[in-house]
Amino acid sequence: MSAPSQLPRRIVKETQRLIAEPVAGISATPYADNLRYFAVSVEGPSDSPYEKGVFQLELFLPSDYPMAPPKVRFLTKIYHPNVDKLGRICLDILKDKWSPALQIRTVLLSIQALLSAPNPDDPLDNAVAEIWKSDEKEALRRAREFTESFAIKK
Amino acid sequence: MQRLPTGEVVITPRNFKLLEELEHSEKGMGDMSISYGLVDSSDIFMGEWNGGILGPHGTQHDSRFYELRITVPESYPAVPPRVRFVSRINMSCVDGDTGEIIYGKVPATRNWNRNMGMEQVLISLRAEMASDANRRTRQPPEGSTF
Repeated sequence: MSAPSQLPRRIVKETQRLIAEPVAGISATPYADNLRYFAVSVEGPSDSPYEKGVFQLELFLPSDYPMAPPKVRFLTKIYHPNVDKLGRICLDILKDKWSPALQIRTVLLSIQALLSAPNPDDPLDNAVAEIWKSDEKEALRRAREFTESFAIKK
Repeated sequence: MQRLPTGEVVITPRNFKLLEELEHSEKGMGDMSISYGLVDSSDIFMGEWNGGILGPHGTQHDSRFYELRITVPESYPAVPPRVRFVSRINMSCVDGDTGEIIYGKVPATRNWNRNMGMEQVLISLRAEMASDANRRTRQPPEGSTF
């Protein structure tokens, strides 16, 4: 268990701000027994097939954070060309475009933006990306169907 | 688990550790004498894995391929994975009826700590196949299962 006093000040500050000034449509809460590990939920943007869905994710700040990016993964199944079947996300700022000037907040905003603007030219799931490029209408229909099945509480 | 110079102990949560293990296994490990991968590549919980061990040279297990099933509990890696042989095998650290490994008799599970993974358990089992207690034990027909 990481005692709060040993947690880097940067992480303490980021966590406090995430809770005090949450981003619209996004929540991130650290687990009590591991303050580097967050339960995240992101609301699907209204201009997207993920509308009305609430997507659960998990986020972990590795020991070399903020020199290395956070690790983030979807726990809710989602039909998206940049998310694979295990929920892993293809997003430049989580890889080579990471900078210590970015934060948990910016990462989660970027993920929300990725839901509004899928990028089938840089896919993680090739099968999904192919459909997205060849028949966008069908792709959007499938994405809505997944949202309905997995991301909307009934 | 990693202790930083500040005294903080950083614990990688189960799912992110399993993703690291999966990526490590997909890169391929040395001579491929052991292998492991998800049973269902879309299982978000990553609970069920297939394992494989190629029997070591100069033993009764030579050139046999053993299939195993690995179940990763929610409390992993605080506790080791549950491992059982699917392929039938006669070995002092394996239950002869079920194929389950006997935790206290496999060094990797007996001395488990959260920095270890499925790879260490499979390597440890392979080493047991070559131990004095097991290397000459007669084996069931190749291809039979528990």
